[in-house]
Amino acid sequence: MRVSLNWLADYIDLPSWDPVVQANVLESLGYEVEEIDRLAPRFRRVVTARVVEVEPHPRADRIRICRVTAGEEPMTVVCGAWNFDAGAMVALALPGSTLSDGMEIGRRAIRGVVSNGMICSERELGLGEDAEGILVLDSETPPGEDLAGFEALTDAVLDLSINPNRPDVMSYVGVARELSAYYRVGYRLPDPDFPKVDATPRIDITIEDPSGCYRFVGREVWGCEVSSSPFWMRTRLRASGQRPISNVVDITNYVLLELGQPIHAFDLETLGGAGIVVRRARTGERLTTLDGVDRELTASDLVVADRERASALAGTMGGGVSEVTGRTTEVLIEAASWDPPTVLHMSKRHGLRTEASARFERGVDPQLPARAAARAAQLVTRLAGGEALRMVTDVIAREDRMVPVTIDFRLREAERILGPGFDTARVTDLLSRLHLVVKGDDPMKIEVPTFRPDLTRPIDLVEELARLWGYNNFPERVPRGPGGGRSVAQRRIRILRRALCGVGFSESVSLSFMRAAEIDLWGWEDRDERARSIHLKNPLREEESILRTTLLPGLLRVANYNHSHGLEDVAIFEMGRVFLDRPHPVLPKVPDQPERIGILAAGRLGGTGLGLSGRQVDFYTVSAVWRAMSRHLDLGEWRLDPVEAAGWHPARAARLILDGEAVGIMGEIHPAVVRKAELAGRVIAMELELDPLVADRDHWLFRAPSVFPPYTFDLAFEALEELAAEDLLAATVAAAGDLLESARVFDEFRGPPLPDGRKSLAINYTLRAPDRTLSGEETGKALRSMADAARAVGAELRGDL
Amino acid sequence: MESLDALLERAPTLVKGTATLDELSEAEAELLGRRSVVAEFQRGIGRLPPEERPAVGKAIQEARRVLGELIETQRRRLETERERLMLASDRVDVTLAALEYPEGYTHLITSTIEEVCDIFLGLGYRVVGGPEAESALYNFDALNTPPTHPSRLESDTLYLDWGDPADEILLRTHTSPMQARYMESHDPPVYVVVPGKVFRADTPDATHSPVFHQIEGLAVDENLTFSDLRGTLAYFAREFFGSERRIRMLPDFFPFTEPSAQMHASCFACEGGGQCRVCGGVGWIELLGCGMVDPNVFEWVGYDSSRVSGFAFGMGVERIAQVRHGVSPLRHFFDNDLRVLSQFR
Ligand SMILES: [Zn+2]
Repeated sequence: MRVSLNWLADYIDLPSWDPVVQANVLESLGYEVEEIDRLAPRFRRVVTARVVEVEPHPRADRIRICRVTAGEEPMTVVCGAWNFDAGAMVALALPGSTLSDGMEIGRRAIRGVVSNGMICSERELGLGEDAEGILVLDSETPPGEDLAGFEALTDAVLDLSINPNRPDVMSYVGVARELSAYYRVGYRLPDPDFPKVDATPRIDITIEDPSGCYRFVGREVWGCEVSSSPFWMRTRLRASGQRPISNVVDITNYVLLELGQPIHAFDLETLGGAGIVVRRARTGERLTTLDGVDRELTASDLVVADRERASALAGTMGGGVSEVTGRTTEVLIEAASWDPPTVLHMSKRHGLRTEASARFERGVDPQLPARAAARAAQLVTRLAGGEALRMVTDVIAREDRMVPVTIDFRLREAERILGPGFDTARVTDLLSRLHLVVKGDDPMKIEVPTFRPDLTRPIDLVEELARLWGYNNFPERVPRGPGGGRSVAQRRIRILRRALCGVGFSESVSLSFMRAAEIDLWGWEDRDERARSIHLKNPLREEESILRTTLLPGLLRVANYNHSHGLEDVAIFEMGRVFLDRPHPVLPKVPDQPERIGILAAGRLGGTGLGLSGRQVDFYTVSAVWRAMSRHLDLGEWRLDPVEAAGWHPARAARLILDGEAVGIMGEIHPAVVRKAELAGRVIAMELELDPLVADRDHWLFRAPSVFPPYTFDLAFEALEELAAEDLLAATVAAAGDLLESARVFDEFRGPPLPDGRKSLAINYTLRAPDRTLSGEETGKALRSMADAARAVGAELRGDL
Repeated sequence: MESLDALLERAPTLVKGTATLDELSEAEAELLGRRSVVAEFQRGIGRLPPEERPAVGKAIQEARRVLGELIETQRRRLETERERLMLASDRVDVTLAALEYPEGYTHLITSTIEEVCDIFLGLGYRVVGGPEAESALYNFDALNTPPTHPSRLESDTLYLDWGDPADEILLRTHTSPMQARYMESHDPPVYVVVPGKVFRADTPDATHSPVFHQIEGLAVDENLTFSDLRGTLAYFAREFFGSERRIRMLPDFFPFTEPSAQMHASCFACEGGGQCRVCGGVGWIELLGCGMVDPNVFEWVGYDSSRVSGFAFGMGVERIAQVRHGVSPLRHFFDNDLRVLSQFR
């Protein structure tokens, strides 16, 4: 809400009107000031002047010759506007003056008549958008005054953001009331008095739906004249962010801003059957609202109708038919109390958020309508003439809503939450300042005025005490919890992350979505759990419409993003949840959402520099990354089984079996998928369940390094292509027994002189005993049994032992 | 033939005059080789009368010793010199980065979460996680959010087409559901932080993302007051943004805390006023929302709200990382551009 300090001054006397000071006070009370808008005239040498006479221009139809006086001799000014006549007070830019856009005004001849300056419009003065006619000032304004000196034009406006629980502050009186609590000073309500006439109201009012409407006050003013509202009101409305329209409409907006009670004015004569009925809309009923939109209504909409048709959406927006226009003379002022959820529902359903709905959906004081209707009637008679009826139609459907709430409050409630010091005296003082009625000692009886619908429980009062005492006046204390630190899994996740960074992989964080096209890209079958994705009910974009079932599409997207920015060497990992179409194993009602770790690399990886540019990634890169992970996480029993799976290279992918359970896949992504992802070359990936990797494990045990010399040798074996290196290695390692210190495949070879379908594997072994130097006899025996073991799995030693 | 004395006389000049190990070898051959004067004397010793042999033999031995030492000294000198020259020619350009090890970086979101969690672990908190696909029961009902609250609308919350529609399965809009889940399964005292992903119905732009991260904090104990909330948040602000930080708290509104507040820390980049990248000149940085746990939340999880009290807070991870490191716009957290990832520490 935009709060003009000039306007606010009607309701309260503050010790300081410095906008920064007041912004700080309001912020400390919980109203964020989004901006301080300082308004000041940007024109110079513009004075008030009275139009003495107006004559047609002898040589032009569209402009007139005016004689105007700024207190001295009348001067001739040529003017193209027609919205004034002799006697009007206008703003005259004298020769040598500057307008708000910097334009200088001189003395110049227009069609042969010398104009001694210019009569200005609001737009030329930077006061508003209106450029149709000139600015007409109040007729009591004395001539010859410097317009820049008008107090109303120099103002500071605080743009307050008001939390949804405080509808009572969405008005000038509401803001004044908060400041009065802070400063311990009084605040003023507008003078309610105005002349009335005795007559019988023409409109009969019925509330058919008390669930939606608590109270409806109707007040009639007959014989008014709709024109533009006075300069002061237009200035105040504009400063508060409202566009002036006409006096009657402006008055409804003015009262809304002043008191916080939305007001609607009907052209009384358009109401069919001279009656108002508050009812639910009929299905299929239509209403064209003031914004020109023809709306189809449903039975959940609440309408203000005449006896024939709906004429306004309750508490939200009026209808075009009953709108006050320039021809309106008889006005029905509506001030009502609507059910907040009903208004919220309507404004959301119709996408219509208005100043009125914003207040009603939060709750407007049901005591307010009578006062607000009177204030509006007062202003109409004052500014648009006419006669206000003394008799008011005040239909109260819900008496229960009109009664103030009483809360039993124990001091202990305050001390428990706020700490010591909140005794009877302090609590009574603070709550009284907020206009709550405090009775009794402990427990106290606190009577809450109806403008505070947010205060229903003792804790609500505790908050008020803290707020008015000042959040920043509480001491600081740091409590300590019982501790416990990170869990085993959390610690092991950290180890894993460090291990991956250490081998050159950077962590990525993706949004948790994937696209339908990405499912197609991978070629998963419909029954594949990765294709059976969970869809959003209300996605905003196709990109964020499906929850990811795997981390791989996101990782591929990252590779693609970097590739398209000229970064071809990509090595990334991500940890996060995927969402599967099956119930959570532990938590009821939510889908399964296990955490995974995904890895992806493309291009080259490894040391770079002079003569070095890393190594093109391939299957062996991803299995090496896995081995590094397994060493850092001290994972003992695992193996890789070749696997053919959708989206993976049929001959370069493996399933990881850890402690006998399959925990994921690693390998090269199928070249077709790589091409569709607009990447090139080999792309490697891995996706594993995180839980089994980081679950608690037995601690590793120390092995003392031997001080005796090693026996190191290489063996080359020839075998069928199908023999897995790991199987050969495992067989020979087992045969070497306790003597084996390390074994490593250092060469793999195919082609002549080997026949087709056979390969050679060369392995480097180190044997060493913990307690002695190995004898030739011992090493010879070990070698022979290793060769035998190799033969048993189908590998022949090349050359002799 | 030259006498041994004459030989010993000129040998030092000869030996020290050599400039290379090859020249030294030639000099050695001349002085001690098979055709040297010393060898000649050695061979001639048999022809001498027996009584002269010991004296001559001794003189030859002495000459060999002296010459040998001379040559050895020169050899060491030449070898040192040769190595010096060799090393001099092995000079590198110390400014040249001829080798780079591959290295990876932790994402800023993760490192920020870790750092914040470390601060609270130091205060005796535990770190817990929770489901991202959540039910409206925990995301809203448990947290005192009425059925009509606007945050439940489809314009704010992403709902899933999954499960029983009555359960309203959704993507959690905050980390706060874990308040209820944790309290439901643990007795007080409770001191936990909950980092994780949260979701909103927002289209990505400079300041919005449908996914971002929060860290929730919850402390429930006997006798926790508003002062404990203030003190804890001030402690956090000083640990995270620097020991000079002051905090201020302004009243705010959240359904599941009362009193509710937003917490600001004094700007670490300026004294307030003027232009500032971090605070825009305000002098304060809005960091998080917080408050005292609403009694309705305690009632929902089965705690006795007349016996325990507590506070909760929730901060945006991207927000505090952005404040500290200037990462902007928001998409840089999620594009995973390697040029950005490699800046993260
Ligand atoms: Zn700053």
